[in-house]
Amino acid sequence: MLDTFEILTTSGVVLWSRSYATVSPSVVNNFIADVFIEEKSSASRAKDGASAAANPPYKYDQHTLRWTFEKELGIIFVAVYRSLLHLTWIDKLVDNIRAIFVSLYGDQLKKPNTTIVECSKFDEYFDQQLHELEQTSGKSDPKELRTIKEELFSGDSEDEPPLPPSLVLRPRNSPTSKETPTADSPDSTPAASPNVSRAATPASSHLLTAKAGPGGKLSRRARKVQNSKAGPQSSGDEAGTRRSSRLAAKGAPKRGRKWDADGFADEEDDSVQLDYSTPNAATSNSDQTGGARLGAVEEVDASTWGSNTKGKFVLRDLGDEVHSILASADAKNSAAKSDAATGLVGSSLSAIGGLFRNVVGGKVLTKDDLDKAMKGMEEHLLKKNVAREAAVRLCEGVEKELIGIKTGSFESISARIQKAMEASLTKMLTPTSSLDLLREIDSITAPPATSLRKARPYVMSIVGVNGVGKSTNLSKICFFLLQNKYKVLIAAGDTFRSGAVEQLAVHVRNLTELTAREGGKVELYQKGYGKDAATVAKDAVAFATQEGYDVVLIDTAGRRHNDQRLMSSLEKFAKFAQPDKILMVGEALVGTDSVAQARNFNAAFGSGRSLDGFIISKCDTVGDMVGTLVSIVHATNVPVLFVGVGQHYSDLRNFSVKWGVEKLLSSN
Amino acid sequence: MTLLDSVKWFIEASLTPSPTVFTIGIAVVVLLPILLHFLLLAATPYATLPSVLLVGPSGAGKTALLTLFERGPLSKQEDYESSTEAEKSPSPIIDGSPASALLTHTSQTPAAVELAISDDRSSSFRDEVDTSSGSNARKFLLVDTPGHAKLRRYALSHLTGTASLKSPSTASASFPDSAPKKTKLKAVVFVVDAGALLSDSEALPSAAEYLYDVLLSLQKRMAGGKGSKAPASIPVLVAANKQDLFTAVPAALVKSNLEAELGRIRKTRSRGLLDSGVGADDDVSAREDGDDWLGEYGSEKFSFNQLMEFDIEVDVVGGNVVGDGPGADKWWKWIAERV
Repeated sequence: MLDTFEILTTSGVVLWSRSYATVSPSVVNNFIADVFIEEKSSASRAKDGASAAANPPYKYDQHTLRWTFEKELGIIFVAVYRSLLHLTWIDKLVDNIRAIFVSLYGDQLKKPNTTIVECSKFDEYFDQQLHELEQTSGKSDPKELRTIKEELFSGDSEDEPPLPPSLVLRPRNSPTSKETPTADSPDSTPAASPNVSRAATPASSHLLTAKAGPGGKLSRRARKVQNSKAGPQSSGDEAGTRRSSRLAAKGAPKRGRKWDADGFADEEDDSVQLDYSTPNAATSNSDQTGGARLGAVEEVDASTWGSNTKGKFVLRDLGDEVHSILASADAKNSAAKSDAATGLVGSSLSAIGGLFRNVVGGKVLTKDDLDKAMKGMEEHLLKKNVAREAAVRLCEGVEKELIGIKTGSFESISARIQKAMEASLTKMLTPTSSLDLLREIDSITAPPATSLRKARPYVMSIVGVNGVGKSTNLSKICFFLLQNKYKVLIAAGDTFRSGAVEQLAVHVRNLTELTAREGGKVELYQKGYGKDAATVAKDAVAFATQEGYDVVLIDTAGRRHNDQRLMSSLEKFAKFAQPDKILMVGEALVGTDSVAQARNFNAAFGSGRSLDGFIISKCDTVGDMVGTLVSIVHATNVPVLFVGVGQHYSDLRNFSVKWGVEKLLSSN
Repeated sequence: MTLLDSVKWFIEASLTPSPTVFTIGIAVVVLLPILLHFLLLAATPYATLPSVLLVGPSGAGKTALLTLFERGPLSKQEDYESSTEAEKSPSPIIDGSPASALLTHTSQTPAAVELAISDDRSSSFRDEVDTSSGSNARKFLLVDTPGHAKLRRYALSHLTGTASLKSPSTASASFPDSAPKKTKLKAVVFVVDAGALLSDSEALPSAAEYLYDVLLSLQKRMAGGKGSKAPASIPVLVAANKQDLFTAVPAALVKSNLEAELGRIRKTRSRGLLDSGVGADDDVSAREDGDDWLGEYGSEKFSFNQLMEFDIEVDVVGGNVVGDGPGADKWWKWIAERV
């Protein structure tokens, strides 16, 4: 069952919620942080207006969240349920609730400087929707099972024994059922599969009643048996409302019983079943003609249902209102799609107005306006050495953000895009957590007296592709740490390339001389060549703990990121050395390959471990073409810690987001 | 003909120098700008409201505080809540009332709420303030900002006063008039979760770091004021929220913990690497100036008192948004005194 349904604004206020079981607020909080703020996976970017089916479900801690987002008003609709359950109607519920809520309370939401939305009456609407969708899914499931059986001709009928006789007649209908779904599937692919079953069943039942042959009689009796089990309502009557449900064979008998408990008399069932042919014909016709089919089908259905069952009139009234709301929302959607060109005069007038507005500002941006400018922005980013994948995603995000937004006074479109891109880049590059390295080292090497942790050396390791400057950056970091009077041990983890250990020895000698006055101390821990790097690292950490070093810096051998054999040893390395920080060195020079490098290294440390940060080396050689920054952060969501800006030991800098964004957007 | 005549007469009369024409002319010249001014003012009613900024790390309770101040305590809102509560499953309600409080989640965009304070300062937010009279009630904007690390620029740009709240992203879509271009920032409320501020907890460094950024930008603003007139001082309230929790740290301890942590951050920042973009040649001067040093330069220990030098007043007051405890009255009073 549904655990919680919440309607909340982007500013964090829950406007309306209904919970059936306690769900930790951290579920929704994590969902917001991951999907909306950090945009962890490129697929799960917030899409405005997309139906819940199009938004990928978010899974967290045994819960699954289906959601949709109304950008204009800044409200998010979230349904939370247990991942174990397979609720087919959730998508539809989220979409319908969104349509209803927006049309009912949209005006209130636009008011400035308040967060209050009077929506206490929304409970009834929600109940109505939930009730209806649960019913339809519960009812339709056995029948869908049957339609599937018709199409597949597979006689697996363990829960419906009297089915086989009716199978004889059915095959004739399958061609019609295959034609119908093409007429109406405007939103997405998942909605198409229910359509098949919807169109198929009414047509088949219609045919059955027309031919009162022996086979038909048999099948009707069979259906009656089945109806009394699954629900007293006739099969054809509710057929129109079944579009939301997908194939959930397991939940079917249980829900059917629930429907039975609602109390429908059996004689009603008979009377309904006798005249169901005509409305069915109507619905299937309207299905094929398309148009405003949802509303029409729903309304026919609701009226018959309401008149048949006494004492349910309140529900029906509300249902009517809801259906009209849904229908109008649908109509609006289709209207928005259709009204593109309104004649030559109108379009040219609006074109002139658009030109004027482009200069003065106050123009509502559309996709057409943005397309060309976005192309330019993409080109600009590519020129800055941003990988195409990252550039496209950034531009798509900005475009989505800007559609429907009014430009400020005297603000051109390109200026607006520039601004939005700046914000987008800043958001992407800004780290989620603090990156104060010295503070972290202090808290590890000298834990507060009250805590139970024992003092131990802080372990950092550096990985990367060949020749990007791992050893150089390691010694730069070492220099920085020595200036802060730490005792540093450098472990020579590159046991493969000849001269690597000697190179580190030279660095250590230089650093010792340079920082003799400052008071730091640095030693090299080496075991020669040919040893296993992971073991060397482990020994180095143990040695450092023994000798009371503050920081252990582990150098590793360079490896090609797509060499599976070399990359696999990194997992063992991470397990043995247990580094507090794994930094990857990436060149600013590298282009599109940076994405793959970052991804492969990020994934190389096993499931529980990933990179902690990047060092971008050789930034002084590329001028302002620092697109690699964006590419790697885009690929991994791991922040950039340092940038190397020169050849000296002191040429290491904290990465400043503002600096990076300025360079990326500068126009030469 | 008569039309032509009357037009002729009108032109003649208006061009002939006479007292009536002069008076009408002067009246038009004087009144038109005034009328225009009022018309434009009416179009932007919130242009001059003073504002109070709510900042703090994610999950501290900023949005909850905002909704509490806006809607009043739950006792008044029972008619609003009960409708949803009644339908809820009889789930066990964990320590008292948190379950019945208005739910909030992680904010993504800033939100502004217009609040009013009646002039006798003893009142609390529980009292309905009659805003319609406008005589003895002062309105102000309470601006809630997202606390997620990636979204802190909203708050910081608001602090420096350079940028408007109209963020380029979704905020402008959802809150078209949430804030004017230039707000009169009167005070900053820094909300922290006192339940998580033990001296060795994970939350303390991140909260302190954010507070450090906030205080530093305020300090820079005071120091960087041009001209003889110093910018108006902006006091800071550290609201130690969630005092209803068993693990909550009292306000005095919150203060000392934060001060110690701020001192540590100050020290590591001064020793840290330079930001990229800062050239190697001007690094020495920047370091020596103590530009990024919060409080009294060179002092060993940090305390909030050092900020008085920059006319930044920092108070730490405990309270809670939900549950039993001291409540939010003290915070409200603090805000009322400063607006």
